[in-house]
Amino acid sequence: MTGSSRSLRIAPGPATAHQDDPTSVVASDESVPPSHIVHDGEISSPGPDGIRSVEVIVDGWRFVLSVEDEARASLRERATRAGAAAGGGGGALEIRAIIPGRIASVAVTPGESVDAGQTLLAVEAMKMQNELRSPRGGTVMRVPAAVGATVEVGDVLVILE
Amino acid sequence: MSLRKDIAPPFSRILIANRGEIALRVTRTCRDLGVEVIAVYSDADAHAAHVQAADEAVRLGAAPAGESYLRADRIIEAALATGAEAIHPGYGFLSERASFARAVVEAGLVFIGPPADAIDALGDKLAARRTAAAADVPVVPGTFDPAPIDRADAIDEIAAADAIGFPLLVKAAAGGGGRGMRRVASVSDLPSALVAASNEARAAFGDGAVYLEREVRPARHIEVQLLGDGSGDVIALGERDCSVQRRHQKLVEETPAPGLTTHERRELHGMAVRAARAAGLSNASTAEFLFDRDRRFWFLEVNARSQVEHGVTELVTDLDLVAEQLWIATGRPLSDRARAAAERALAPTRHAIEVRLAAEDPSRDFAPAPGRVGKWAMPAGPGVRVDTAIRPGERVPPEYDPMIAKVMTVAGDRREAIAALRRALDEVEVTGIQTTLPFDRALMRDERFLDDDGEGLSTDWVAEHWDGAADRRRALDVAVIAAARSADIAGRVSLRKDDPPISPWRAAARAAAIDRRPR
Repeated sequence: MTGSSRSLRIAPGPATAHQDDPTSVVASDESVPPSHIVHDGEISSPGPDGIRSVEVIVDGWRFVLSVEDEARASLRERATRAGAAAGGGGGALEIRAIIPGRIASVAVTPGESVDAGQTLLAVEAMKMQNELRSPRGGTVMRVPAAVGATVEVGDVLVILE
Repeated sequence: MSLRKDIAPPFSRILIANRGEIALRVTRTCRDLGVEVIAVYSDADAHAAHVQAADEAVRLGAAPAGESYLRADRIIEAALATGAEAIHPGYGFLSERASFARAVVEAGLVFIGPPADAIDALGDKLAARRTAAAADVPVVPGTFDPAPIDRADAIDEIAAADAIGFPLLVKAAAGGGGRGMRRVASVSDLPSALVAASNEARAAFGDGAVYLEREVRPARHIEVQLLGDGSGDVIALGERDCSVQRRHQKLVEETPAPGLTTHERRELHGMAVRAARAAGLSNASTAEFLFDRDRRFWFLEVNARSQVEHGVTELVTDLDLVAEQLWIATGRPLSDRARAAAERALAPTRHAIEVRLAAEDPSRDFAPAPGRVGKWAMPAGPGVRVDTAIRPGERVPPEYDPMIAKVMTVAGDRREAIAALRRALDEVEVTGIQTTLPFDRALMRDERFLDDDGEGLSTDWVAEHWDGAADRRRALDVAVIAAARSADIAGRVSLRKDDPPISPWRAAARAAAIDRRPR
C-alpha cells in the first residue's frame, strides 16, 4: 500500500463553512497565520468498524485522526448507549506508555495502594528519565512492565484496581 | 581519493567516533579533503546514513550508548585495526572525556580536539572558574571549591551563600545539561539542595562535587567560537546567541548576537580568548557566557569540542571549521583564512540562524517522541543549509539524542535570515513523529523574537512565552477539516477512538480557508 500524499495550504480569509461541500471549508480572521498542512499517504481503508485513520500535520503538529461515516457513527453511538445501560463501566484502569523507551525503574508492586500523583515507574528515552505518575488513587493489580524491557506507545505498564 | 594533486590531505584516513548528523558532516569534509573515513556504529545504526557514507565501518555493540558509542576501548581498537591515523570525536559521547583523548594519543593516534590536559582542566567547572578568574575574566559570583555536603551545619557554605545572595544555584562541578543542578530560594533549603544535587551529580557523572553560583536571571546565553593551534595562539570567530533553550538545552542559535555594540563584542571576544589561552586550549572550542540586563558578561564554562551549532559560524565566516580542526591536528598553525575571519567577526556583515529540529513534543514540555519517520522533506534554496542524517522511513532510535536535523539560513541581516528561515520551515515536511517544528514556526513569527535589539531574548523565553498546548489546540481544528476532506466523507473525526468525535463543521467555523496545492 503506497497511498497518496497531499499537501494543502490554509490561507487567512473570511469565515464561512459549507456543509454540503467539504472541499470549500473556509474561515476565520486575519490574525490567524496561514496553516501549513501535510498529509501522509496511508489513508487507511475503513476497518471492520468503518473507521479510517488519517495522519495530518498542521503547522508541524502531528495528529492521527479517526474518520467515521456519519451514519455508522450514529449507529455505533446508539449501540454504545445500549451497552452502557445494560451495565458495565468502572473497574480496572490500564495505564499505558505514552512514549516509547526502556523501563528504567519500577516503584510499585502488585497489591500496593497508591495515591494520585505517586510515581509508578520511569521510562528512559533519549537520555531522559520520564516519570510516570498515577492518574488516580487505587490498588496496583498488575505491573506488566519489567525493568530493562523496551516498550512501545500504547503498551500497558500498570493496571490499577 | 582526492583529485587535487597540489595539496596532500591532512590525513589519509581517520575514524569518526560518533553517529547521526555530526558523523555525516565530518565525513563530508573528509571527502572534500581527500581523507578516507572509518565509521563506527551500534546495532541501532547498522544501516544509518553515516555508515553508508563511510569507506569502512566497524560495529561497536548493542544500541545503548554504554555498549557502543561510549566504548573507548573498542573505538581505539577499531581505529588501529583499520589503519586510521586520527580520531574525530564529534560532540557528545566521548568528545569531552580527557581519559579518551589521552588513550587515543597513547595508542599512537591523533586526537582531533584540544589536548587531554585542557579538557581535564575545563571539564571540571570549578577548575574552569578558577582558570578564568585568574585570567581576569569575570565569572558568575559564587564559590571556587567543592561544598562540604556531609556536614549537617555547613556553616562556611551558609556564609558563602549569604554573600552570593538568594536565589542561587547549586551546580555540579562535573555537570552539564542542567543535571546535578538545584535552585535554592532561601538559606533553609540550602543543606538539602546540596545533598540532592551532589547525589544526582554522583549518579550522572560519577563525581559528587558541587558548588554555589549566583542565579544570573534574566540573562541571555552568548558564546564565542574559538580556534587555537599548537603554539598557544587562539582566535575568536564571532559569537552566537543561544538564549532560546528548554531544560538548559539549546533550541535556536544565531550569529552575530543581536544588539551588541562594537565595544561589547570586542570585550566579549577578548575575554573568551584570555580564558582559552589560560586553559591551554587548542583546536576548536567554545566559551559560554551569560549576558545580564545590566549588559555585563559572566563566564560560565568552556566546551572543549566542536559545538552542535558550529554551522551558523561557518555560514557567516565561509570557513569549514572541521577542515580547520583537521589541519590544526596535524600541527599546522592557524590558517590565514581563519585569522582574516576573526578580524571580520568584530564587524559582522552577515547573519545566520539555526533551529534544531528534535523528535520532541512541544505541547508536552518537549517530551521525547522517538519513532519511525514517514515522509521526510527538508528545505533547500538560497541561503539554506540543512545538516541531517535522517532519510524517509528511518527510525529515530530512543537510545540517543532527540535532535534529528539542523535547519540554518544565512543572509545580509537578521531580518532577512529569519525571513529565509520562515520560508525554509514552510518547506519542511515530516510525518510519522512529532517534532519541535511547531515551536520553531511560531518563534520565527513572534514579534518579541524578531526585535533586532535582542532585548526580548532570554533563557526564560520558552517558560514565559510558549503555550504549546494552546498552539496545538488551534491546529487541531484545522487538522479535523483536513482529515475529513482527505477521506472525502461528511462524517465525524476524532483524535483517537476513545476521544469524543469532533464535527468538522464546528471546527471549520474557527479555522481558515483551505486552498489545495497541486500534489
